[in-house]
Amino acid sequence: MKRWLPLLATLLLAAACTGSTQYNEALPDIYPDYIGVTIPAGIAPLNFNLPPDYDRVFVRVTGSKGGELKVRGRWADFPIRAWQKLTAQNAGGTLSFTVLGRKDGTWTQWRDFILYVSDVPLDDYGLTYRKMAPGYTTYSRIGIYQRDLHSFHEEPIIESTLTPGQCMGCHTANATDPSQFMFHLRGKHGATLVQQDGRREWLTTKTDSTIGNVAYTYWHPDGRWFAGSINPVRQCFWTGDHRTIEVFDLASDLVVMDMRDHSLIVDPRFTTKDYLETSPAFTPDGKTLYFCKARAFEVPRFVDSIRYDLVRASFDAETGALGDIETVIPASREGHSISFPRPSYDGLWLMYNQADFSVFPIDHKEADLWLMDLSTGETRPIDEVNSPFSESFHNWSSNSRWFLFSSRRDDGLYVQVYLASIDENGHCTKPFVLPQKNPWKYYHNTLYSFNVPDFTKAKVDFRTRGTYEAVFSDERIQATVK
Amino acid sequence: MHYDTPSGSRPKRLPVLTLLTLLLGAATFAFWMWLYPQDLSYQEQNQLFLFTWDYLLERLALPGGLADWISEFLVQFFYWRWAGALIMALLAMLLQRAVWRMGRTQYMVSFIPSLLLLVYMGDVEVLLSYPVALLIAVWLCPLFLHARWHRLWLIPLGWWLIGPMILLPVLLSMVAMSSNNAKPLVYGDKAQQRVVSRSASIFSASGTRNQSSGASHGYTELLILIWTAIVFFVGTRLMANQYPLRDALFGLNYYRLVETLPALQWIIPIVTLLSILACNIPLQFRHPALAGALLTLLLVLGTFLGVRATYDRDTHETLAYDWLIRHERYADVLKRADKYQPRNPVSACSVNFCLFTQSQLESRLTDFYQCGTRGLVLPSIRDNLSDITSAELLWMMGMPNITLQYAFDLQESIQNGRKSGRFMQRIAACNIVNGWYGRAIRYLDLLDHSLFYRKWAREQKEMIQDEARVAADPVYAWIRSVRFQDDFITNYNTLDLMMAILYNQNKNNFMAAQYFEAWQRLKQMEDKQ
Repeated sequence: MKRWLPLLATLLLAAACTGSTQYNEALPDIYPDYIGVTIPAGIAPLNFNLPPDYDRVFVRVTGSKGGELKVRGRWADFPIRAWQKLTAQNAGGTLSFTVLGRKDGTWTQWRDFILYVSDVPLDDYGLTYRKMAPGYTTYSRIGIYQRDLHSFHEEPIIESTLTPGQCMGCHTANATDPSQFMFHLRGKHGATLVQQDGRREWLTTKTDSTIGNVAYTYWHPDGRWFAGSINPVRQCFWTGDHRTIEVFDLASDLVVMDMRDHSLIVDPRFTTKDYLETSPAFTPDGKTLYFCKARAFEVPRFVDSIRYDLVRASFDAETGALGDIETVIPASREGHSISFPRPSYDGLWLMYNQADFSVFPIDHKEADLWLMDLSTGETRPIDEVNSPFSESFHNWSSNSRWFLFSSRRDDGLYVQVYLASIDENGHCTKPFVLPQKNPWKYYHNTLYSFNVPDFTKAKVDFRTRGTYEAVFSDERIQATVK
Repeated sequence: MHYDTPSGSRPKRLPVLTLLTLLLGAATFAFWMWLYPQDLSYQEQNQLFLFTWDYLLERLALPGGLADWISEFLVQFFYWRWAGALIMALLAMLLQRAVWRMGRTQYMVSFIPSLLLLVYMGDVEVLLSYPVALLIAVWLCPLFLHARWHRLWLIPLGWWLIGPMILLPVLLSMVAMSSNNAKPLVYGDKAQQRVVSRSASIFSASGTRNQSSGASHGYTELLILIWTAIVFFVGTRLMANQYPLRDALFGLNYYRLVETLPALQWIIPIVTLLSILACNIPLQFRHPALAGALLTLLLVLGTFLGVRATYDRDTHETLAYDWLIRHERYADVLKRADKYQPRNPVSACSVNFCLFTQSQLESRLTDFYQCGTRGLVLPSIRDNLSDITSAELLWMMGMPNITLQYAFDLQESIQNGRKSGRFMQRIAACNIVNGWYGRAIRYLDLLDHSLFYRKWAREQKEMIQDEARVAADPVYAWIRSVRFQDDFITNYNTLDLMMAILYNQNKNNFMAAQYFEAWQRLKQMEDKQ
């Protein structure tokens, strides 16, 4: 029977293509837009939907290096194993999609489209991200999740139901390695959780010499240090009809934490009142710390005057000492503001956000991703991936040949995660949204945005048992100042 | 008070009993229909039941999910207060009859759980899934009494579907089994025991086993108890590991607020268990009529006092204002406030808004409780009630972005993570006013899966296909005509200036003018104090 299946499918396709089938020269209007994207072999199937008025879809996928896959149903729902086999077989080649849709009993066939399968692997287990409602000051549910990139399986690492009343901050792993990660809880029982090789420590990083707990963090490659910015974050709201929220820091300072003795290095040059220092990131060799720095203004009155430059300082991994601050991109001079610098782990590139002002690009429609060549210092907007809507937080895969970023391009509000590849010359491919089993249903019905996404090399092992007790016991390791 | 007959034929006084049950239903209906309809509205606006498989699956993913789903299905009908009152009355009657059915001897005792529930529901954060789970648990009791070893799979199944309330039939079956093996718990003479046996007594149900194997039955019940504990703990790890253990053990969906366990939440199942046991005791009274009357009086008095104790007047009055404003019964708010007004900013804000709608804001401002400018428009407060009126009045005045912020925060402040049809409607409307149709359609599509917001959602979806229709819509056109023409950052402390800007932009916006004047008066009063 099995050997007759291709013939039957071909006959079905032929039948569908004759008689009442109309041919349309245009490309199919599929959701999400996967036409012409580049994917890694072995990724979860790129299922897609036709517009809702099409009640059936038939898709034939043909690999340039062989293999074929046919599906039909209410949406294009590819079987995972067959899809992975096909993509593996066609690594470095293309997949051609023939799509037919039925509307009011009439089938339409559109022009075939191509999808590229990269020969560069994406071996990481998957992604981590925070999901929360894209809103204002209150969130009923927040959670940090991990998602297997090779299937549709998503599971919570920790959800706010376990720590009621505490706001959940960003999850930060050391260069995608989940054996060393941290996240921050804000609230009455706030703490910074650091888990290293399964051992947990609950820290209070606020000291008499600092203005608060460490919020935005980045691990030093050797795992002993992490840099963090302390940001009392506030929001204000616009009256017009093209934006709603502005997020800003009342102040912000930059510190480095030594995890060996839980001590903070508080350097007065990085904790000035007149300047705001934030978004630290170490280079993969651990010798340089990039961050953003802006002149402070009265907020929220002059919030649109705050513009951040990209700066850097050398770092001594033996002592934790920071060198002189050097401006790398003086964006403020040209009326721009830089945020979230992220050096690639192979040391070639540095990706960052650029907006008109502010350090929180997610609410800035004009915010785009930019790329700096670390060997030449040349910068350029990544037009291959940018959209008219906000592009914001981004991170690199462990091999630095893939990156992900957040974007509001779908409807202007709800943030989704997009992935794209980059070659050795810095050319990027058309991004694709994180695949879902039924993408339209998933993305259209969700009331959550994806925040601070990152790759994770392996599955994060976080056991929830004892977490509630640890959070509410308020037993913390108090950070000291060196 | 032994109402059954030895012959087992139709009880002679059944019509009286039915009448008593109907009386309970009528009283419960009247209670919710006329005394506390605002509670029904509050329940309804803190959830959004969707007719989708995903919604059902999401509920079933947690222990107690079926009770939760049934509860939310029922609560959506609270949109109509008569339907809400009817549902509450039916639940009370069904519970009473279910308890009575377990013993069929002490009829008045069977009213205790229903009346206690009425007292407990004075706490507006008690979810309907609690009485629903309790009712299902009592319904399951006969099954558990006969289940013997089948309880091994009934316990996990029951725990999954109705949550920890499954302990009620488990404990009852254990008591029944143990009692029959030790000594008969059926009191009275042999004739009465026969009566009880024929009337499906819990003891008769389990009392047919071999009395000589008492010890082994004791071990069996111990094993059942251990098994129940294992089910609870393992089930919690498997299905509710993102919840604190205590919350999972006492029920995730019985109470809206997190980290709170009201005493009545565990007292009521115990009292229900005791009521069922008491219903099996065929006590003889010398003057049954007098005893019945006394017990009835005691129950009525107890319920009255319980309701007085648990129904916080200020909270329910504030909720009543919100309910009346939702139905645009502004004059009724003022009538109520004339008699009694809670001294809190939320009530002041509601009353002042109703004064404005009745063109009395200037003349009667000082007739009511005031608490400064906060009583005119509240700042952003993180709960699911305080800012509703402020959001509505700012919407009418022409500040849709602050309304959007308030509506969003109101919805996100529902502590059990549910969404709200009422708030989502306003969020969608704010997005439409701003021309953000892509965002609005997401909310409208969700509302399209509900029962009571579907019609509105479909109208809006159709409307936003045609910009001319949106522009011609009287509400959207008005707000677009009075809203800020410049884009600047809002600040609650300068809200009066923002009102002045609105009025100067559009002299038809007399609401902004009146609120500006009221703001100045209240500020002066505040300064004097």
